Amino acid sequence: MKNDFKLSDLPKRNIYEVPDKYFDRLPAQIMERTAGAGYSPAPWYAAAWKPLKLAMAPLVLLLVAGIVYFSQLRQEKEEPGVVLATVGDEAIMDYLSTYAVLESSDFADMTTLSNPEMTAEFLNVSSTAAEEELEYYRLDTIDY
Amino acid sequence: MEDKEILEKFANPDSRNLAFNQLIRKYQQKIYWHVRKMVIDHDDADDLTQEVFIKVWKNLENFRQDAQLYTWLYRIATNECLTFLSSKRKKFFLPINDVAAELTEKIDSSPNIDGDEIQLKLQKALLRLPDKQRLVFNMKYYDELKYEEISEILGTSVGALKASYHHAVKKIEEFIKQD
Repeated sequence: MKNDFKLSDLPKRNIYEVPDKYFDRLPAQIMERTAGAGYSPAPWYAAAWKPLKLAMAPLVLLLVAGIVYFSQLRQEKEEPGVVLATVGDEAIMDYLSTYAVLESSDFADMTTLSNPEMTAEFLNVSSTAAEEELEYYRLDTIDY
Repeated sequence: MEDKEILEKFANPDSRNLAFNQLIRKYQQKIYWHVRKMVIDHDDADDLTQEVFIKVWKNLENFRQDAQLYTWLYRIATNECLTFLSSKRKKFFLPINDVAAELTEKIDSSPNIDGDEIQLKLQKALLRLPDKQRLVFNMKYYDELKYEEISEILGTSVGALKASYHHAVKKIEEFIKQD
């Protein structure tokens, strides 16, 4: 074979052959089979299904982005006081006793504690001393 | 008859069979030769061509007319060929080279093949290419389709097709030079 062979130099030729009158018979053979295969018209939604499938991915993405956006928007709108209301008193006390610099008066209105002795504990006084302290103030003379 | 006219007739139940018969007569040779060059054997090509048209019959109503009818037919035929060659390998646990060897043997022994030495050698060289590269080569070289049309059929970029065809030509020329 020549070493400088180029495909473009070779004439194009179909070397394959078919039996005599093959293409005359083929349509009838296929039509016979289509009669057996039956024809099932496409359902009404078939035409819409393909473009819908193509649009599905961006739609889902858009939906997820929308959900994330609106949930963030909602969180931003919530008042800090409302959010804080969901936190239990004990948790607030734990936090404050760990991180905050507190004064005795900070605990004055914590009336909802389940264990009243806890207030005394935070004030670092005995209950007797606390009672004595309360006796010292005459409530009817205090101005509000 | 124009494709549009065939499709309009096919949509009407009264003229459906007539339209489909016309569609077969218009495209049977293109589809058959496309399949035959891939599977080599006439009986296999005959079976696959019939299967292609049965699939067309069942799905023609879903055909979107924004694509060309013949590229859609080519795509169905191409898928049938690839499925056939793939199932042949799986069925007989054959590696790619053994299927190529089997098809090469058919070129030597089939009664429906007639070509001189260089033409036979070209067909054997083609069988050494991967299936998809052989498809690209056949559609460009024999069917003279545009790269854009092949791209629509195979769902591959034009750039990749050009590279694939270029490599195929080089491999074929190298194979033929070997003797």
